[in-house]
Formats: sequence, C-alpha cells, structure tokens
Amino acid sequence: MSTAPASVLTAAGRAGSRRSALMTAILVFTTIGCLDAAYLTYVHYQGFGALVCLGAHNGHSSCETVQSSVWAEIDGVPVALLGLIGYLGLFSSYLVTERINGELGRGLGFCIALIGFGFSGYLTYRELFSIHAICEWCVGSAVCMTVLAVLTGIRFLRGEPPALDQPAA
Amino acid sequence: MASRKEQKEQARATRIAKEQQAAAQAQRARRLQVSVAVTALAAIVVAVAIVLSSGGSSGLKHGSAASAVYKTVNAEIGGIPQSGTTLGRPSAKVTLNYWGDLQCPICRDFTLGVGGGGLPEFIAKDVRAGIAKVHYESLCTATCNPADPTGGMGTFNVQQSAAYSAGRQNLAWYYIELFYRQQGAEDSGYATRKFINGIAEQIPRLNLGKWQAGVSSKVLVSQVDSSQTTGISTYKFNATPSFTISGPKGTASLGSGILTYSELAAAVKAVS
Repeated sequence: MSTAPASVLTAAGRAGSRRSALMTAILVFTTIGCLDAAYLTYVHYQGFGALVCLGAHNGHSSCETVQSSVWAEIDGVPVALLGLIGYLGLFSSYLVTERINGELGRGLGFCIALIGFGFSGYLTYRELFSIHAICEWCVGSAVCMTVLAVLTGIRFLRGEPPALDQPAA
Repeated sequence: MASRKEQKEQARATRIAKEQQAAAQAQRARRLQVSVAVTALAAIVVAVAIVLSSGGSSGLKHGSAASAVYKTVNAEIGGIPQSGTTLGRPSAKVTLNYWGDLQCPICRDFTLGVGGGGLPEFIAKDVRAGIAKVHYESLCTATCNPADPTGGMGTFNVQQSAAYSAGRQNLAWYYIELFYRQQGAEDSGYATRKFINGIAEQIPRLNLGKWQAGVSSKVLVSQVDSSQTTGISTYKFNATPSFTISGPKGTASLGSGILTYSELAAAVKAVS
C-alpha cells in the first residue's frame, strides 16, 4: 500500500481548500443573483408599485422605466424570468457536477454563466444608450453574472480536484 | 550505488510521472477546446436572444400576426360604445380621464395590464357594465424626451391626432390599443407615418381616406394641445399615465403611474 508524501498532500489540500472557497463564492453569487431575479420577476407580475428604486426618469422610477421598456421582454417573456431560469440552471449544473458528471456540470455552469453575462451586457448597453435609465436591480444581476462567468470559467479550466484517497502517513 | 531493484523502481516512477504529465497536458488541451466550444455556443445563444428581443425596431405586425392582434383588441373592447376618444356608454356616471402618450411604455403597461396595470380589468368589469367610461387625453412625455432625436411635439401631434382622427369614426380605442400593443423602443424613432398608417390599416372598419384627412389637421392638433395644456396647467401632471376621475360626487386627481384595478375600483366608489 503506497502513501503519498506529506508535501504532496499539503499542496493538494491547499488546492482543495482554494476550490472549496471558489465553490462557496460561486454559490453566494448565484444565490444573490437568483434572489434579485426572483424579486424582479415577482414585481413584473405583481405590479411595479412594489419596485424599490433610487433613480428617477420622466417622473417615474428608473427601474420602472427599464422594466417597462421593450427590452424587458423577449417575445412576451420577461427577461427577469429568463434570468431566474438562468440562475436555477446554474444551481442545477452544480448538482450535475456533484451527482452525475463533474466535467459536464462544470461546462454547463460555465456556458449558462457566459450566456447570462453576454445578455446582461447587452441589456446594460440598452439601459445606458437606449432607455437612458439605470435599474439598480438589473445592474446587480449583471454584476453577479459577470463574476459568475469568471468564477465558473476558472472552475471549468481547473478541472477536478486531485484525488486524495490516501491519508497522510 | 542504487541496487537493480531501486533502479527499476526509479525508471517506473519516471515513466508514470511522464505518462501523468502527458495525460494532464492532453486533458488541459481538451478542456481548452471545450471552453472555446462553450464560449461559441454561449455567443450563439446570446445573439439569438438579442435578435428575438423586440428592441430597436417597431413591433408593427403584418398579415396573420396583425389579424391576431386585432382579434385580441376586439375581444377586449368590441361591442363597447365609443365616441371620440371615449370608451363606454355615454350614460355611465363615472368618467376616468386618462392622460397618455402613445410612445410611453408605462402607459402601454397600464393599458395592457402588465406590471399590475388595471385597465383591462376595468374595461371588462366597469366599462362594459356601463358603470364607467374612459376618456383618453394627450400629454407628451416619452415622445418629448430630449434624448429622442426624432421626437418632440411635431411627432407627438401626428401620432396623437391620428388616434383622435380614428375617434371621428368612433374607433379611437382600436387605434390606441393597437398602437400600445405594437409599441416600439423608446427614443428609437419608430413612430413614423409608415408605422402610424400601418396601425390604421389594421382596423377593418376604418375609412382610411377620412382618417388620413384628420391626421395633423389643425382642429385635431389643437385638441391635442388643449389636452396637454389642461394636464400640465390644471392638474400639474408631468408624467404619463396620469388620471382624474369624475362622478356624481365630484372630480379627483389620481396622480401619475400605473393604477391597479383595485385602485381604480376604489376611485370609482369614491366619486359614485
């Protein structure tokens, strides 16, 4: 029965700990983004009166202006709902990583985060240059997606943590 | 000096290390290839989403899609009497005055029942039952946004007088509903004469010749101006949608923003 040198195990332990910190950060940003998108989806269906916003635009809150714009929907489906589905998809990809296939799950998570990042970037461009109003909640989600695209990218490129099936001697 | 057994073990360890290194390199290369494929896939999905997003152009429908929009509008307001820009029976004791800008997205939401907008339910329950009527007034907000290079009162007068002109044939609310349902992106300059004509052409009973004569006519533009002046000077409105309600017990301003059906129903009760 072979044993790994203590130095290798320590390095592997550090790598595992970094990965654990990475995964914790990913889960935190996914949760924040998910709550943000859930709130915007709720507001979309329940009424903009429930929308708390700092800015103002043409006598209305700037969030109301953004949420009422033609860019707030794709073919009748609110983009907030699409964002919520995206965050739930990210959670599902973490489950796939843990329970089914690590590489597939990490790739799926990276792909969803990249799509979210790309579309959030487009919507932020529209807020700045077409709607001329900023919705803090949308910016919050865009920041979460940007961070998640970076973190899930690192996680995907790093791959599996090294197997530590042997205890230190 | 290392024994023969130790030399064999060393050679084996070196071989295993090389194999592991080669495998790791191959895995890294494969992962990079997959990440490029993932990025390309994400870019395609984002591009499709951007194309599907209704921004950047008018939502003017054609053919069967236009017929479908008209059918939806007809299901909502068909059979309800119209006079000018008023929807509802003349005998209705309560009048909801609705100041709107046809390019205003929040007016669209109120009119279509998005974001809690209560107009569809109000029409179905109070207007259809003859309890109340809705009178459409004009107030330039989104169209007069300085950020819109094609906007301003000129554009506003054309688009709003187009609705008033349809009102001369008692079809204003078809025009208003169809416009809001096909509203384009704010500040994109979509509300051209072509767009306005396109909306009018979707109303089967509208006499287009008579309607064209009314668009931008002095009489109707002055009606739009008068409506705007009343909204600003009398009620101090600076946003749309804005509302007043009048009934047997008097007139009240309901302010600006999206009103829900329960807010409208409470206002009707207060003035009845």
